[in-house]
Amino acid sequence: MTGKRSMLRASLIAGSLLLAGCASTHPSSPQDPYESFNRSMFSFNDTADRWVVKPAAQGYHAITPAPLRTAVGNFFDNFKDVYSAANNLLQAEPEKALNDIMRVALNSTFGLFGLIDIATPAGLKNNKTSLGDTFAHWGWKSSNYLVLPFFGPSTVRDGLGLGVSLGINGPERLVYHNTNEAIAFYGVYGVNTRARYLDLDDSLYAAALDPYSYIRDGFMQMRARQLGLPNPTQTDEMNIDDLVSSPATASAPASEAAPAAPEASHAEASAAAHAEASAAQ
Amino acid sequence: MKKLIACFLVLLGLSAHSMAAIDNPVDQVRETSRQIMDVLKQENGKNTKQIRLQVENLAIPQFDFQRMTALAVGLGWRQASPAQQSALSQQFQTLLVRTYSTTMTRIKSAQIDIQPNAVIGNSGREATVKSAVSLPGNDKGPVAVDYTLYKTPQGWKVFNVSVEGASLVTVYRNQFNQEINKNGVDGLIKMLQDKNAALPAAK
Repeated sequence: MTGKRSMLRASLIAGSLLLAGCASTHPSSPQDPYESFNRSMFSFNDTADRWVVKPAAQGYHAITPAPLRTAVGNFFDNFKDVYSAANNLLQAEPEKALNDIMRVALNSTFGLFGLIDIATPAGLKNNKTSLGDTFAHWGWKSSNYLVLPFFGPSTVRDGLGLGVSLGINGPERLVYHNTNEAIAFYGVYGVNTRARYLDLDDSLYAAALDPYSYIRDGFMQMRARQLGLPNPTQTDEMNIDDLVSSPATASAPASEAAPAAPEASHAEASAAAHAEASAAQ
Repeated sequence: MKKLIACFLVLLGLSAHSMAAIDNPVDQVRETSRQIMDVLKQENGKNTKQIRLQVENLAIPQFDFQRMTALAVGLGWRQASPAQQSALSQQFQTLLVRTYSTTMTRIKSAQIDIQPNAVIGNSGREATVKSAVSLPGNDKGPVAVDYTLYKTPQGWKVFNVSVEGASLVTVYRNQFNQEINKNGVDGLIKMLQDKNAALPAAK
């Protein structure tokens, strides 16, 4: 355990040094000063996904029935509720913290060690919060984008929160006792989570011109909404009415009237496809 | 406090209702969703192509792709000539359609709940209709999908869709601007054309 922790500390230090060295002078987004570091981490994750994680998830998906995958997901969720309770307390939200504690109590006992989520149907809302949310609650509102190894899109604030949460002795130590068991624990967690998004890869690569910035900007918008912050893309004082009613467009009637193309968009489908992705968190 | 909120919500609902006496954005989104889901439910694995076309015919008139593209591009839109603007809109529309038409049958068993109260903005000309989409097998709970519409002489048109706060439109802005800064508006049009040509046409 100490070995794991010192490793974590070393990687945090190494990470911050790397970040400092990579601060680019011309970031493509004001929220992404570490773009060159993030891009290399993104391609690392992409390679790891292509050769290891995704094949593992596909195999896992093939041999396990859906209820089992749900049970495994619930099992890990139950641990997250413990952290959520602690963070709700830290955010001075005793009611939500109590809700989380009740969830853990109910799911760990009647829910067979967390395999069945009976708390949600019983009316105890799943309102997970993290250490990153706690930091945001107490004033660390805006944080730069950071791609974490394996965990993917994050921010400096949320990455730090995750690092601390992984480093402390949490309830998951009841399950694993040495490094190998810890690797197995997080391995199953990762594969089970990945198996949920197998369908999504194609639509991401079809939609994005640059998958890196597509994921980044989508993630940053979603995170801003979770924290109740203004949408980061709405900050450039751009009024849509001014744009489309500029003299240039006034002479050209909107082409929307011409359903020339046989193709059409479909909002609900797109929405749902991406919905699955955003529900990942 | 709860009473106050309830009153406020009722007021909002009333104002939204009275403002759009002819057609109101919430009813419009609800009706379109219902029609689309009805069509999708007939999908049986063999008629996928017809179903997709039917859905496209229902969905396309609900959108204003020109305005959507302007929102995606942002300030760079002003640099574009009318011809460039319509070329951009055309390509962006094709990209969105190709991307999402292949995924639509996946949501045929989704449950869509449209919230009765739209958020009215921009002095009554814009409305954001909120909905919750529940997919069976997704145990993480419903997903928030928002549609932003604006009032045109032809009725309300959708020009922004966001999922859990992430806009499927403005998510392109940085990608588009990067290309415009590098190779101009024509560069972006070319990039979208290449992208669309590389995408396999929907089956």
